[in-house]
Amino acid sequence: MLILGIESSCDETAAAVVADGDRILSNVVASQALTHEKYGGVVPELASREHLRKITPVVDEACRQAGTGLCQVDAIAVTEGPGLIGSLLVGLTYAKATALALNKPFIGVNHLEGHIHAVLLQNRSERRAGTAEAEARFPNVTLVVSGGHTCLFRVETIERDGCPRFSYRRLGQTRDDAAGEAFDKVAKLLALGYPGGPVIDRLASSGNSRAVDFGRVRLKGNPLDFSFSGLKTAVLYRLRGTDLQIEASERRAWLSSRREQGRAVSPQELRERCSQATVDLVASFQAAVVDDLVGRTLAAAEQEGVECIFVSGGVACNSLLRRHFAEAAQRTGLPVLFPSPALSTDNAAMIAAAGYFKLRAGECADRSLTAHASFPLGA
Amino acid sequence: MTETLIETETGSAEETVALGRTLAGQFHPPCLVLLEGELGSGKTTLAKGIVAGLGAAREEDVTSPSFTLVHEYAGREKVYHLDLYRIEGARDIATLGLDDLLEDQATVIIEWADRLGRRLPGPHVRIRLEHRDGDRRRITVERDRG
Repeated sequence: MLILGIESSCDETAAAVVADGDRILSNVVASQALTHEKYGGVVPELASREHLRKITPVVDEACRQAGTGLCQVDAIAVTEGPGLIGSLLVGLTYAKATALALNKPFIGVNHLEGHIHAVLLQNRSERRAGTAEAEARFPNVTLVVSGGHTCLFRVETIERDGCPRFSYRRLGQTRDDAAGEAFDKVAKLLALGYPGGPVIDRLASSGNSRAVDFGRVRLKGNPLDFSFSGLKTAVLYRLRGTDLQIEASERRAWLSSRREQGRAVSPQELRERCSQATVDLVASFQAAVVDDLVGRTLAAAEQEGVECIFVSGGVACNSLLRRHFAEAAQRTGLPVLFPSPALSTDNAAMIAAAGYFKLRAGECADRSLTAHASFPLGA
Repeated sequence: MTETLIETETGSAEETVALGRTLAGQFHPPCLVLLEGELGSGKTTLAKGIVAGLGAAREEDVTSPSFTLVHEYAGREKVYHLDLYRIEGARDIATLGLDDLLEDQATVIIEWADRLGRRLPGPHVRIRLEHRDGDRRRITVERDRG
């Protein structure tokens, strides 16, 4: 069974063809990072215009790479929310119009559900190839962590008519900034470029993560909620009125002149423009975010008594996060499963994979399917 | 015409939330609330108090709208919570449909409102937040009757 997946919730236009929910025949992502780089963040009006320009070539390319045509796919799965409303509408309208014209079923998928399925998709394809180290098990606790989201879910399946049906319960979420948003904002404060996650990950590898003690984030109420806005403010305080701030403004001027010349900045060049104190601050900030993410996820797994942890979303690419979770898995014996980096960030293969199970369960959408900027999962 | 309603200092995030709850009692929709202040000055924290005070959502469910730009809370009252952090030009601001939101008999809270420039639709409340030592914040509330 061939599913065409389409995803356009934020700044990536993506299409993919997935067979039987676990064989990725194509996974095409057109990133807009370059368009948004000079703004240090996603600019919504630019994003929807870029989606409009790219959606047709991206879908065509996904079909070409999969060696199939739109007529051969069995159904179309599309992200209905949450995300930027103008961006979501481009993918959703395209998917709906195509499905109606070809008289095929179409399926609305929650973006967060897609991220959860990215882990399962990775695991199922590894198991088919015989390379999986552990088996994805349910119920599990899933951490979805990206620029727009930081949520913990309990994920369960029940088998009905030989088809697994998934249910989700949200255990906790951020009360202010998402983890990826904190990375972006700190990168902007320190003038390190955009997107902040990969830049900080690379720089931090040469820094001392114990140089600055940010302390633990303490919250009243639900112990599985997150908060990252205080950490961002703490970085600001470390910066204000110090040499680090002067250094950051020099770097800002340098970055913008390079941008005007149209010359890319290599990681090594950026490193040379950063003092050791800046790199230590960045490394300490990253370690504080990672400690918090790992700590609350393990607490959730213990509270729920599950035997498996999934971690997904753009921040799941962070190398320190992967390392700390791998160590926790060793220590506790609890398998922690990640998607590959390409399936961690926004992509359409995860939407197609989630859509596959919904189609089998008969959960198709009708013409009333529409986009939702806010679209909670399992609340 | 501008009048200063409150000039105060809060000593913690909890106090900032409490101030937001108090302020909410003085807002009658449609009402436009502009929040200004640098990164980490407590804009989202104050917004939590205002939204909770209006009975639109629970304090812990009010989060930063930097990513989706607009959060919509509908309980006893309706609140739109916007964030212009990522917004650049006037054309992008136009796509937010601010006038439509205000016609909805709602309270509209806008973070990074200084990016609106001089384009203000009628009466509004302007709240400035400034860092003081540690967790202290100076908060000034002004009403402009348009």
